[in-house]
Amino acid sequence: MSFLSGEHMTGGYGGGANILEDCTITVDRGEIAVVVGPNGAGKSTAMKAIFGMLDLREGCVRLDGEDITALSPQARVRKGMGFVPQTANVFTSMTVEENLEMGAFIRDDDISETMAQVFALFPILEEKRGQPAGELSGGQRQQVAIGRALMTRPQLLMLDEPTAGVSPIVMDELFDRII
Amino acid sequence: MEDVTNAAILILNFLFVPGLTYGCQLALGALGVTLVYGILRFSNFAHGETMSFGAMICILVMWWLQSLGVSIAPLPTVLLALPVGIAATVLACLLMDRWVYRFYRRQKSPPVTLLVASIGLMFLLHGGIRFAIGPDDRVVGDGARFIFNAREFRHATGLSEGLAFKTSQGITIVVTVLLVAALFWFLNRTRAGKSMRAFSDNEDLALLSGINPDRVVMITWVLTGILATIAGTLYGLDKSYKPFVFLQLLLPIFAAAIVGGLGNPLGAIAGGFVIAFSEVSITFAYRKFVAYLVPESWEPEGLLQLLSTDYKFAVSFVILVLVLLIRPTGIFRGKVI
Ligand SMILES: Nc1ncnc2c1ncn2[C@@H]1O[C@H](COP(=O)(O)OP(=O)(O)OP(=O)(O)O)[C@@H](O)[C@H]1O
Ligand SMILES: [Mg+2]
Repeated sequence: MSFLSGEHMTGGYGGGANILEDCTITVDRGEIAVVVGPNGAGKSTAMKAIFGMLDLREGCVRLDGEDITALSPQARVRKGMGFVPQTANVFTSMTVEENLEMGAFIRDDDISETMAQVFALFPILEEKRGQPAGELSGGQRQQVAIGRALMTRPQLLMLDEPTAGVSPIVMDELFDRII
Repeated sequence: MEDVTNAAILILNFLFVPGLTYGCQLALGALGVTLVYGILRFSNFAHGETMSFGAMICILVMWWLQSLGVSIAPLPTVLLALPVGIAATVLACLLMDRWVYRFYRRQKSPPVTLLVASIGLMFLLHGGIRFAIGPDDRVVGDGARFIFNAREFRHATGLSEGLAFKTSQGITIVVTVLLVAALFWFLNRTRAGKSMRAFSDNEDLALLSGINPDRVVMITWVLTGILATIAGTLYGLDKSYKPFVFLQLLLPIFAAAIVGGLGNPLGAIAGGFVIAFSEVSITFAYRKFVAYLVPESWEPEGLLQLLSTDYKFAVSFVILVLVLLIRPTGIFRGKVI
């Protein structure tokens, strides 16, 4: 039984044509799964479908054996899922630190330790913590976006094109830490 | 020299103080409009009537208190009624959301649908209010009328021009400062406030962070109810309360919100003052002011008024059109409509 499975997912945006056609994705605990495909293949769409940001016409999504197809995205976050979208993945008008705080919105315990871990992972963010995220470079924003998703300490982290614009050294470090 | 001082006092008395007071009232109104726009993403045309509703409840409670002989003189009794007015208005906002807006939100209706729904609610509220309290002009202020009046000022300074400061003006300014400070503290320092800003900034990402949209919407209506009641009551206290006025007030309030940048609270405040001072200074008769500054023989014949006060709403309208043409995002870069 895999940890996450999206089974026979079929759906599209609004009332439009199906973008996903009987798409099945399964991931085991501790596994890193990669989705590869040409531009416009539907990779981002599949991730949105798994996260409940797309109404599925058919199929279901299971997390740890539980059917979560009907749950809203914010409810899935509470189930331990985290997602970094490909675009618009930071709160541009809020500071780096506020972005991370919002990432930890569902947590009631002390978040300073997790924030220190994120700063250790991405030192540049500590330096820019008081700056609005909209004033950062593309790669720095990507780091904020990943940091924000890490703040909930998710059991399942989905990254849409996480490496876009981020220096390979930083990404190496990130993947080392995640594993 | 004394003439220059007199001219300055004249401007202070008839232009600056009234403009500042009116600006505060518009700023509070525009803040409500801008919050709803930032979170619920539609222009709430019922906001003027929401202000009127809050003010009406305050007046009804005030009458009841007065009949019991309750008084906090020199302060006006209506201040005591504010908590009740706020509670009733917040409840009304939440019910309007529950019965009308939520339906369209769930349908993911375009903003214009919500806007039209809000126009419907505007008329409904307006009718209800006229039915409940009647269309007449009501004096709201009791207690001391002035903090200091023109005669006292002339006595104290020996100038020929007087300066008056009404209690209602003092209350308006103090309450606005306190309320705005509290609002900004809430938005920038508390978790609930930050979640509102996050939701306004990027709705999808807010959901991905586990922020509950229903809660954000609820907090927004609570804040709107508070702001609207206080704005409406202060306006009534300063001028007088008349249901019809709030239909007209909608234009300067929207102009203020748009000029400042829709969705931006700081912009709403700046916009409120821009509109208020433009309106007051364009409809001000400068004759006496000029008379102080030029030799007697040059004294102007006309009123030297750029625009009659009957046309004061044209000022907001012109500013609104200019801003939309030249800088649609407003002074503080809000959202483009
Ligand atoms: N919001 C949207 N509304 C309607 N159609 C969309 C939307 N987003 C994407 N699409 C369509 O869905 C299809 C798949 O897009 P998707 O973003 O999933 O591709 P992708 O595999 O992530 O591509 P890329 O490698 O460029 O990121 C495209 O044909 C695109 O036009
Ligand atoms: Mg993509």
